[in-house]
Amino acid sequence: MAWTPARLSSIVLSLCAALACGSAAQAQTWPTKPVRFVVPYPPGGSLDQVARALADRMKDGLGQPVLVENRPGAGGNVGADFVAKSAPDGYTIVMGAVATHATNPALYPKMPYDAIRDFQPITLVASTPNVLIVPPESPLRSPRELIDFARKNPGRLNFGSGSNGSTGHLAGELMKQMTGTFIVHIPYAGGNPALLGLMAGQTDLMFDNYANAAAQIKAGKVRALAVTTARRVAFAPELPTMAESDPRLAGFDLDTWFGILAPAGIPKDALERLHGETVRALASPELKERLARMGAVAGGNTPAQFAEFIAREMTKYARIVKLSGAKVD
Amino acid sequence: MDAFNTLVANLGIGFGVAFTFQNLIYCFVGCLLGTLIGVLPGIGPIATIAMLLPATYALPPVAALIMLAGIYYGAQYGGSTTAILVNLPGESSSVVTMLDGYQMARKGRAGVALSTAALGSFIAGCVGTLILAAFAAPLAELAFKFGPAEYFSLMVLGLIGAVVLASGSLIKAIGMIILGLLLGLVGTDVNTGVSRFAFGIPELSDGIGFISVAMGVFGFAEIISNVDMKGARETFTNKITNLFPRWKDIKECLPAILRGTGIGSLLGILPGGGALLAAFASYTIEKKLAKNPDPPFGQGQIRGVAGPESANNAGAQTSFIPLLTLGIPPNAVMALMVGAMTIHNIQPGPQVMTSNPQLFWGMIASMWLGNLMLVILNLPLIGMWVQLLKVPYRILYPAILMFCCIGVFSVNNNSFDVLITVLFGVLGIVFLRFGCEAAPLLLGFILGPMMEENLRRAMLLSRGDPSVFLTRPLSLTMLLMALAMVVIISLPAISKKREETFQEEAG
Repeated sequence: MAWTPARLSSIVLSLCAALACGSAAQAQTWPTKPVRFVVPYPPGGSLDQVARALADRMKDGLGQPVLVENRPGAGGNVGADFVAKSAPDGYTIVMGAVATHATNPALYPKMPYDAIRDFQPITLVASTPNVLIVPPESPLRSPRELIDFARKNPGRLNFGSGSNGSTGHLAGELMKQMTGTFIVHIPYAGGNPALLGLMAGQTDLMFDNYANAAAQIKAGKVRALAVTTARRVAFAPELPTMAESDPRLAGFDLDTWFGILAPAGIPKDALERLHGETVRALASPELKERLARMGAVAGGNTPAQFAEFIAREMTKYARIVKLSGAKVD
Repeated sequence: MDAFNTLVANLGIGFGVAFTFQNLIYCFVGCLLGTLIGVLPGIGPIATIAMLLPATYALPPVAALIMLAGIYYGAQYGGSTTAILVNLPGESSSVVTMLDGYQMARKGRAGVALSTAALGSFIAGCVGTLILAAFAAPLAELAFKFGPAEYFSLMVLGLIGAVVLASGSLIKAIGMIILGLLLGLVGTDVNTGVSRFAFGIPELSDGIGFISVAMGVFGFAEIISNVDMKGARETFTNKITNLFPRWKDIKECLPAILRGTGIGSLLGILPGGGALLAAFASYTIEKKLAKNPDPPFGQGQIRGVAGPESANNAGAQTSFIPLLTLGIPPNAVMALMVGAMTIHNIQPGPQVMTSNPQLFWGMIASMWLGNLMLVILNLPLIGMWVQLLKVPYRILYPAILMFCCIGVFSVNNNSFDVLITVLFGVLGIVFLRFGCEAAPLLLGFILGPMMEENLRRAMLLSRGDPSVFLTRPLSLTMLLMALAMVVIISLPAISKKREETFQEEAG
């Protein structure tokens, strides 16, 4: 972009206009400057990809650039905390996730922020189920067979996960809890190394995010036994839920989700604009297709519904974490 | 023969796809952007690709991936450029290049070092691409044989070899490795989730960043101590010799390039640290093989640049194998490539090779083109880079420091990392004063956490039985090699020889 005199003067003009508007007029004109969209994870993951696609769509609706900024660290807590402590003007938002707003508060003894009080939820962006997968040569063909085997051979099986306290780890712990089995948890430094470990036969089973494992499932490199959600999912209707495949797993319901939040106390008009534009962007064919390809269910609920959802998730994970004894500090 | 014919046919498809005028342009633009950004200290391929990803949305998938691959190579090569010119490792694998590369620059042979790096990288890139094309699938299977026990033994071998990186005192080198290991402990333990030495600071819970440590102990420390030595400040610009290697140099470094290529191709397949280990293994081997090298290693030996540079470039090629054959990215750069694929409606995974042969072989062909492009692009640029050294220090130093800070900040968009870098800068000055070399420290810092993680995973999987390390043949072989190295280092007769080879500097 060349800094031509014409462009410079237009910038100067718009700056003057912005200053002249003052606070009274600002109410109608939000946003008047770029929106900072914090992704609390490193670039490249599926959450980051969706955030970038979303930002690209939202900027058209908002008429201002939406700048994605990766602020990784402490399982997402660094980025989420940054937004929690930002000015509540709607110009700083975060792509929160099941980690930052449900599992971390249960896992970490000392949280830098309050996942409920410090945030204004805007909308759920997407949720993806976890799937129970095993290596293709594994003799275990259903959760029931797996649990029966584990009961007869305590401590024989290993389950991998991307990290301590990940939803994959907690799903495994929940299954062990509900069925009274002992399966050894093998944590890896990330979901991909864990998946490779399963494919190489180091571990016997794993709860992986559907989006992450889909390609390997389709290619027959791993075998999916069940989804972890309460209902079967549209993109893999042949997969049973954990609950329906074994009565001992009744009520098993876990998934991975992410959504947009702002600091608590943002102006009403900013909240409405952000919510409206996010929902509109989510409804665009481009985003829909992208989420569908990931095996994700698009969100788009109201701020109130999202807040209620977060509260429910926090209670749920607090219980699972407590039962499993998992912790991170 | 049949396999060979298919390979030729497949490469034919690939070059058919890549050799369009448009794709060549994208390849060139990618390499150029990558080199320019890679030359800025601290800004590596990850930040570059993340920034430029949106720019590729509008391109056709093959063109987008070709451009991104170009950025990746360019940034990698650009990282070596700063390592050689100003002693700043842009990436972990250029730490090794720095050892002799920077010394060559100090002796006025920066141009030779840079062109040797380019030449080595190109040869390694060609071989790596061929290996990737011919053996991708079987090599991916081989990587599966590498379990936690094997990784652990490989790391042990690596750490013991790290001693060789030092050109000064053996005791100090061991001390620095251990200090590196300890620094690597900072952060959340993978196995238990317990936070260690983080002092409740959230930024430390993922450990100290490699870039912060490297920029601190090398960049900051070097610059500050140079400013300190007012009178004796080096001016190595007025003795610049030829820019390109002479026939004698080429003859000397060709075997090193070939060995480096072999090691790099093999180790590059291993996800996590493959390319780095390759660069470093190549350096160790060259140092061991050389008889009476002149100048000695650590003082501007051309083979110390040629070998590791070839190894890390070959490793960069073969590190695409897990991504292309399994669809599982082994590192952050590859994860971004996967992101780019999905944006362009390609589902990365085991079927890419069959469902998108155009893309798969097109990309392999473009890797070779990218390597060629880098040589064409960089040979003329070498003159310019060397001129950079003529910039007066009062301008060059603050500029480098500023770019370091920007680079460090851009990793996590967090100013905390800049503070950590300053801290390591101070520590680096202390090391310099005491004659402790920082390269072994960095190696311990990188390998330590991986070693611990794999040790404990292997023990978890074996339910606490340490014999796994000895019953798995690959693991046993590497442990025996490590043992042999310890014996060689500690035997009095040989250790005297070690001093001869490594301690000339002190004498």
